[in-house]
This record gives sequence, structure tokens and C-alpha cells, in this order.
Amino acid sequence: MSSAQIEIQLIASVVAVACAIPGTFLVLRKMAMISDAISHSILPGIVVGFFITQDLNSPLLILLAAFTGIITVVLVEYIQKTGLVKEDTAIGLVFPALFSIGVILIAKNANDVHLDVDAVLLGELAFAPFDRLLIAGTDVGPKSLWVVGTILLITITLLILFFKELKVSTFDKGLAASLGFSPAIIHYGLMSVSSVTTVGAFDAVGAILVVALMIAPAATAYLLTTDLKKMLTLAIGFGIFSAILGYWMAHWLDASIAGSITTVLGLVFLLVYLFAPSKGIIAVMYREKQQRTEVSLLTFLLHLKNHDEIEERHVNHLNEHINWQKVRSKTVLDLAQKNNLIHIENKVVSLTKKGDEFTSKAIDYIITNEDAQIEDMKDDFFLFRG
Amino acid sequence: MDITEYIKLVFTDYTLRTITLGTAILGAVTGMLGSFAVLRKQSLLGDAISHAALPGIAIAFLITGAKDSNTLLIGAMVSGLIGTFWIRGIVTKTHLKSDTALGLILSLFFGFGMLLLTFIQKQPNANQAGLDKYLFGQAATLVESDVWLMAIVTGICLLVMLTFWKEFKILLFDADYTKTLGFNTKFIDILITSFIVLAIVLGLQTVGVVLMSAMLLAPAAAARQWTNSLSVMVLLAAIFGAFSGVFGTAISASQNNLSTGPVIVLVAAVFVVISFLFSPSRGLLFKQVRFIKNRRDLQLHKTLTFMHHIAETHEDISHPHAIKLLNNFQGYTKTTLQKLVDKDYVELHGNMWSLTKTGFETAANLYTKQSTEDE
Repeated sequence: MSSAQIEIQLIASVVAVACAIPGTFLVLRKMAMISDAISHSILPGIVVGFFITQDLNSPLLILLAAFTGIITVVLVEYIQKTGLVKEDTAIGLVFPALFSIGVILIAKNANDVHLDVDAVLLGELAFAPFDRLLIAGTDVGPKSLWVVGTILLITITLLILFFKELKVSTFDKGLAASLGFSPAIIHYGLMSVSSVTTVGAFDAVGAILVVALMIAPAATAYLLTTDLKKMLTLAIGFGIFSAILGYWMAHWLDASIAGSITTVLGLVFLLVYLFAPSKGIIAVMYREKQQRTEVSLLTFLLHLKNHDEIEERHVNHLNEHINWQKVRSKTVLDLAQKNNLIHIENKVVSLTKKGDEFTSKAIDYIITNEDAQIEDMKDDFFLFRG
Repeated sequence: MDITEYIKLVFTDYTLRTITLGTAILGAVTGMLGSFAVLRKQSLLGDAISHAALPGIAIAFLITGAKDSNTLLIGAMVSGLIGTFWIRGIVTKTHLKSDTALGLILSLFFGFGMLLLTFIQKQPNANQAGLDKYLFGQAATLVESDVWLMAIVTGICLLVMLTFWKEFKILLFDADYTKTLGFNTKFIDILITSFIVLAIVLGLQTVGVVLMSAMLLAPAAAARQWTNSLSVMVLLAAIFGAFSGVFGTAISASQNNLSTGPVIVLVAAVFVVISFLFSPSRGLLFKQVRFIKNRRDLQLHKTLTFMHHIAETHEDISHPHAIKLLNNFQGYTKTTLQKLVDKDYVELHGNMWSLTKTGFETAANLYTKQSTEDE
């Protein structure tokens, strides 16, 4: 590994951590799309900053861009408050307009400089190590590492200082207000951090990767835990993992680093989305299937209880009358038999004592609809568990 | 270049005619379908779809190796649809909310698309140049066959919309009811979503990924302010969209270095701002005017009621009182008094005022009306 390679991975990881922290809160606060909006609408801020200073490296650019980000949030909220359109429409109206202004400003005035739209949107991590920070003539490392590192340090400090406030206001705005810390201040604080992080990071990795790094690790972590601290840790972990693996994938494919980091983020999310223990798709589908079987079983037992006639209780009747397919009726019959709820004689099904008891309780529950009833049933029978 | 000259040019110049027609049709169809997206609270779906289309374009190119725009559009459409249904899967199957799902799919698909594009650029195939025009859109690349394609799609879209109008409408406003009526909601839902994806994919080439979502939203959001009727809204949105296309093209053609897409979006944004401010029933301006008028009426009525209380203590309701009496009362100002005089409720004689008969009756009614309303 050359030093440039190490530096790229270091920058990518630092960006990943810096994005994962505000991203976790954005995802929890249902404001994930605001990061996409900010990442696009900072463009005019950068362009105006460039016109003023004529220097792409000026800190004024970052300040103005972050300021544009906050303007975006304020505008979105103002439009939402008028009640003229629904909440999400407000975001969709504001950022394309600001982005358009940015694109037009570039096209009209800055066409001949390095500032072009794809560089802003896509970024090129591979070039980041070439932009060095020199202090008194000595090379102290890549500039973007310093910029994002500083932002990360500020973010972590703020996170530690205001962790409790953030937590409370994220989950219960009313409680936060009544405890005496203004949700508005926390909200705008979070928005400012997100805005500054977006601006600081996109120069190195591009706007799209910033959005991906904010949302994807947090969303992946959210599928695995509901504990805030664990979610933050997991999100940071997923971010760093994807950054490093993504870098090596890009190296191997000889393709865009930002693109491959995003792709790894996507694959990690896909894996967790499919296989997460309790919230993954497979777990959810399995649970749904089981619940369907349980409901079928219950319907079947109720049917048995209601009918004494032999022909209504014949095994073949399941297919004809209740209109279940063969597989399903077999599953239900097997399940009922395995739990000693029914016994079958000459293809005629009847309830056992246990089955009768269970059904009576179930009817009780259905009629009263009280949770206490089902709690008892959970203890008595294996069904309805989980 | 003045307007008549420009209009003449639109009819004679091939490129300008194609672009104007193309953007107008695009604006109309996105406005039309955007109305449904906005009302279904899927405003940001457009943004997600337009980003999610990118890997499809890249893969279509990788498979066919040709830059035929129809093939690329099919690729875009397929990956857009996959993205859309994945978003829906995330929202329905997990506890992640729709904004997270949208942002996730948007960034992940786009990033994957970027990976593929850079991968393609390294391939020894000279054909790949210009694939990235789909990122930012270049209206100038529109050719007549593209416009024809857009027109045909718009036609089909219109036809389907008219056929299923009732179903679309009822699904918008009460999905559960639609289900109980026996309509196949899933089918209608997929139909609308597919058309939205199709419209977005069509627009990618013209205005690009980022701005496509605005094309879907802005005309519909503007149209929503002027009407409460769905059919009028769809029509208005189509008109706003078409005009945004035409005006945007005209403005960008009149100057150098002005890309068409962003200008169209800004024109659409102007429509939105105007609608937000000036629409008669919902607009901010008239809302403010109504607010001020109500407050004035309240002041007026307060003064009148106060006077009524004083007059009630006298047998002669027109018994004159000194204006000084009103000084302790907060609702009283010179202007409200003058207004009451104008309405013939009060007579002024120097420093003395007296209620007229109509004034007394109005005030009495005001009072009873209030008290009955209180009950």
C-alpha cells in the first residue's frame, strides 16, 4: 500500500464516520431526504463564494455553502408551514430550484474554471491526496482530511455534549420542550451539522456519496437494533467497513471510488435487509406465513367447534368447503395434530379436549378482545409466540 | 431577438422546433402524472426514480454495446421500476420510513450507476461518450424521433388515464374504499406508478436526473392552488408544465451558455411562486388580506357592541354621548368610528356620537347572534 492509498482510505473512513452520526439522527427523525436536498442546494452557495473570492480553496466557500444548506431547511419549513402543499413536496420544490440557480450561475460565468457540475456532484476521491495542506511550508497531510477531521471532531464533541437532549428531542419532542431544551435549537443544530458535514465532505467524495453515507449505514443499523447507542456504533462500523472495502473494490475494478463505496453500502444494506434476525425480509415473511397458518388453524378449529355434523368435519371438506388448497390444509391439519388439538378417525376430524379448551379460550379472546386473554393463551400453547 | 422573430424561428428552425415541442410535451405529461404523485404523497418518488434509472442505462449499454436511446430508455425504465418497488418493499416490510427508503434507493442506485459508468469509460469502446448526458440532461440532443416517442407515450398515457379515470380518482382519495368496492387496487397502483416512471425516464435526456423531479412536482403543486377538482388540476398542471417547457426553451435559446433544463425548472418554480401568492382561495396574499379584513371587522363590531351597551341604559337610543367615553375602550379608534359613520350605524355631532336606529339593531343582533353561537 502506498501512502496515497492509506490516505484515501483514511479520508473515506473519516467522512463515513462524520456522515454516520448526523445521518443516524436524520433517519430517526424521518428527515433523511433533507440530506439529499442539502447536498444539491449548496451548489449556488459554492458558486457565489467562488465569485466573491475567485479561489476554490477559500473557507468562505464552505461557509456560504453551509449557509445555503440552512436556507434550504428554513425554506422547506416555511413552505410546509403555509400548508399549501404536503411536507415532502416542499423539499422537492426547493432543492431543484436552488440547484438550477447554481447550474445556471456556473454556465453563465464560470464555465472556464475547474468548477463544473459533475465534479461537485460526483467528486473524485482519488485526487484528494494530491491537495495538500501546507503549514509554514511543511506538508501536514491532505487538506480534505483536515477539513473533514475538524468537522468530525466538532460533531463528536457536540454529540457527547448534547447526547441526552438529542435523544429526548428525537423520540419525544413534547417531552424535550417540557424538560426545558428547545427542540427548535436542537433541530437547527442538527441541520447545521448535517449541512457543514455535507459541504466539508462533498469536495472529497461528491454529493451522492455523502447522501449514501448519511442514510445507508444508519438505515442498515436501524434494521438490527433499536438502541440509539448501538445504532450509532453499528452505523459508524458499517460506514468504515464500506469505505475500506469500497476502496479496494474500486482499485480492483479500476472504477470510481465513490461509486464502489456506495455499491458496497448497498450490498451491506441488501444483506441486512434480507437476513436481519427479526426485521429482515426473510424473517418478516416467515413470521407472516406462520401467522397466516395460525389464523387458518384457528378458523379451522372454530369451524370444528361449530359443527357436529360428520360431513362438515370430513378431511376432504377442508378443500371443498373452506376452499383451502391441498398444501395449506395439510399444513393446518399436521400442525393441529402435532399439538394434540384434534384427532382424526376415519378421515373425520374432531377436537380433542385440549383443542376444545383452546378454541373456547380463543372465542373468549375474540369476543372480549382483551390483551390479558391472549397472554394466558401464549402461556398455554406454543402458538402465537413471537 | 424579438418575440415575433423568435416565433418565426420556432416554426422554421429544425432544432428549435424539436426542442420546443419536446419540452412542451414533456412538461405536459409530467405535469399530468405529477398531479397524481403529489396527491398520493409521493412527491419525492420522482427524485428517487430519476436517480434509480442510472444503473439501468449503464447496464443496457453494457449489454447491447450501442447507444440507441430506446434501448437505454428501456434499461432506465426497468431499473426505475425495480427501485420503486424496492422502496415500497422497504416501507411495507420494515419499520424504515418512506423518506429513509427513498434516500437510500436514490443514493445507492445512483452510486452503483456511477460505478458502472466509470467502468464503461475504461472499456475500449469509443461509443460510450455522451452517456453522462443523462445525468444532467441536454435538450439540444433531442431529435425528431424522440419527440415522436414522447408524443406517443403521452397519447397512451392520456388514453389510459381517461379509461381508468374513475379508478385513479377513487384510489387517490380513499384506497380502502376502493378495495371494498372490488377494484383491483394493486393493478391500478402499478399502472399509475409505471406511467410515472415512464414519464421520468422520458425526461432524463432532456432536463437530467436532478431536475426531473422538479418537473414532476412543480406544475402539479402550482395547479393544486387554483382548484379543488382533480380533473381541473390535471389539466392545469399539464398546461403549466407545457408552458414551462416552451418558455424555458425560449429563454435559454435567447442567450448563450444557458442550459435548457435548469431554466425550465426555474420557470416552473416561478409558476409555483405565483400560485402560492396569488391563488384566490389558498394563496398567501389573499389569506393575509382576509386575515386583516377579519381583524378589522372584529374591531368594528367590538366598538359597536360597546356603544350598544352604553345606549341600552338610555330610553332614547340616539341619546348623544361624548367621544371621551370611548377612550377607555380598546377597540375604539378614529378610523373605526369613521367606518361606523360611513355604514350609517353612528352619527357624529362635534364631540358627541349617537347610535342610529340601524346601528342599534345591528348591534343588538350582533349580540344575540354571538350568544346563540356560544350556546
